[in-house]
Amino acid sequence: MGKEECKTMLDALNKVTACYRHLVSALGSTSDSQNLREELKKTRKKAQELAVANRTKLTALLKDKTISNDDRAEYERLWVLFTSSMEILEVDMKRSLEIGQDFPLKVPTRHFIQTGMTGSTTTVASRAMSVQNMKYEADANIDLTDLRDLEAEIAQVDQMMEDMEMKVQVAPWAVEAKQEAGAELRSTASIGNSSVGVISLCEEETKERGSWTDGEAGLMRVFAGIIFTVVLLIAGILGYLIINL
Amino acid sequence: MTIKLIRDHGQHYRPRMACLKKVEALVIEMQDPKSGVKSFEQKRNATSIPHVIAGQDITAWITSHMTVDAQEAQALGTMLVAYGFIYPLQDPKTLILRPDGSLYRCQTPYFWPAQKWKAQDTDYAIYLAKRNIRKKGILDQYEQERYRKLHKWLNHKWDFIVNQAKEQTRAGKARMKSDRVVFSYQERAYWIVHRPPPQTHSAMDYGVDRLIDPNAEEVKGEAYTLIWCRVPSVLLIVLLSCSSSLVKHTMTYQSHDPFLTPCLPSNPWQTDDDTYWALNMPDVDLPTKMTVERWSYGFYELLRDPRGRADFRLFLKKEFSGENLAFWEAAEELKWGAASAISEKAETIFKTFLAPGAPCWINIDGRTMGLTVKGLQHPHRHVLDAAQNHIFMLMKKDTFYRYLKSPVYKDIQKKAISPAPHNFTDAQLEQNARNRKPGLYPSVTWQRQQKEKVRTTTLIDIKKLMANKLDRQ
Repeated sequence: MGKEECKTMLDALNKVTACYRHLVSALGSTSDSQNLREELKKTRKKAQELAVANRTKLTALLKDKTISNDDRAEYERLWVLFTSSMEILEVDMKRSLEIGQDFPLKVPTRHFIQTGMTGSTTTVASRAMSVQNMKYEADANIDLTDLRDLEAEIAQVDQMMEDMEMKVQVAPWAVEAKQEAGAELRSTASIGNSSVGVISLCEEETKERGSWTDGEAGLMRVFAGIIFTVVLLIAGILGYLIINL
Repeated sequence: MTIKLIRDHGQHYRPRMACLKKVEALVIEMQDPKSGVKSFEQKRNATSIPHVIAGQDITAWITSHMTVDAQEAQALGTMLVAYGFIYPLQDPKTLILRPDGSLYRCQTPYFWPAQKWKAQDTDYAIYLAKRNIRKKGILDQYEQERYRKLHKWLNHKWDFIVNQAKEQTRAGKARMKSDRVVFSYQERAYWIVHRPPPQTHSAMDYGVDRLIDPNAEEVKGEAYTLIWCRVPSVLLIVLLSCSSSLVKHTMTYQSHDPFLTPCLPSNPWQTDDDTYWALNMPDVDLPTKMTVERWSYGFYELLRDPRGRADFRLFLKKEFSGENLAFWEAAEELKWGAASAISEKAETIFKTFLAPGAPCWINIDGRTMGLTVKGLQHPHRHVLDAAQNHIFMLMKKDTFYRYLKSPVYKDIQKKAISPAPHNFTDAQLEQNARNRKPGLYPSVTWQRQQKEKVRTTTLIDIKKLMANKLDRQ
């Protein structure tokens, strides 16, 4: 169904936005390097593709006049999610352009800020691109060419946001969020379990998510109980045998 | 689409922050491996995080690099911390540079303050949600309040905020442990500067946004240069002649200016203790010594302060000459009151003060009286201006000086309180902040004033009536 596809794509866009933010915050610091610039470029491209796909899908769904009111409310909520992601992406892209221009790579004396970050950001980038290992194949001039591309991409994104505002009439203040204050605390169990390359499942209803974690916790309890009883039985049998033999 | 604030007066531009670029250049120079500040490693629970600098090293480097004395280096260093270019590790909420061994670290360029990039509420909400996850629901008091408010204002985006918070936490877990720790410090330092907790003084707290873009070039026409550039010479002449009176004015009012002298007992906006306001209420019994001193500066000061006016009224009651002040007050009411009530008020004023044989007949010269009575046939707002000014000058030249020498004034001078300045400790300040209560509604004070006014005017009227009747008989 259209809604499920939309949600999966929006979740992917969300993930890429979050990873992009982590990568941009490492620009200009001691963990900056050629690899980071390449990672930024790749993540940006992926974000653009996802954004375009999301936009076409959502505009098609919203332009459809035959959908019910509930569906329309749901699509408007997804639209607000999409525009918020795009706003954050746009700001991060503009900032990465500024910082990239201020801290060029190919100068005789690099003066990157000693922030205490020494590790690489490969794992974050591979999470964004949903691959196991990142391949780096860029040439040495990446920072200059990348900045030119970045300017063009920012112009594109600006244009896209303007088009979106003009073509789709959605009142963002009329949207009601499905999750209430403190909803982030409820699925903290799942955050620990997720691994690097797994695309997160979409969170449709909070009741559903709540029951999923409760079910998981209950299952763990049942397993623990079974193991405990088995251990008790073994202990009892051994004791009986020892006494009788 | 981001919804802007409801009370939008068109103020969207941040003020010019030209100092930020200069401070950035200084911070980049600090990073030089040869001539910059020496950094070392911080040992934390079996991990060691590099690039930590000590406060004394920073001040020493600034002193030598910029050839300034130690006090100025200290001030510059505090500026670096207050803007958020360097953050303290040991006491993150106090943004000062301690010139001892306390540890600091440099902030990453993404989190540097910039005029273009305002710290957005959406990002703050995402940060609070992430902090909620990390602290498992136990946020600080002020963070909880802000979380609730943001949840109310940004409700339409709340799904996005929760999703983004979770995704960013997951992305953060993909990094090395020491990098994760450093990133959490960096983010916390950024939000302490841009959304300061109570009692934290951050340099990015600049007040209200500006109406016009300060970065836009101003286009000035020819007329501007012709007219406005000739003005300074004229102004200079005028200023020179007024300067002595200006100097005298500033010297007298210097101790009453809250910018120049700290107000006693303590500034309520800074210490959350409203004794100052309670002592300066219009219906207080004993005013402060500062207020009483201010009354002697000029007659208008005495009339302006409601407590002073009440005292003056008391003095006039003792002298049986309250009609001047009553007339002045009635004329003020006519001038500033509603247009529909003008004719009615003018009638009462004529009957009470101006008609021959009136109960509170005022003593003004014949010409003014004639003009006023004629004007009252077609009353308008400023019909009593001439009479009011005459009465004002009368009171100022004669009654005011008698008041200043009278036992009433001397009595209140003796009884006036001079409150001792408060010296709150940090714990008491926090206690005060928690005990803040909403003050009196203005409508309540207004009603009280009205009741007081009715009581005093009727009293005077009746007394005058009796006194006049006795005199005539």
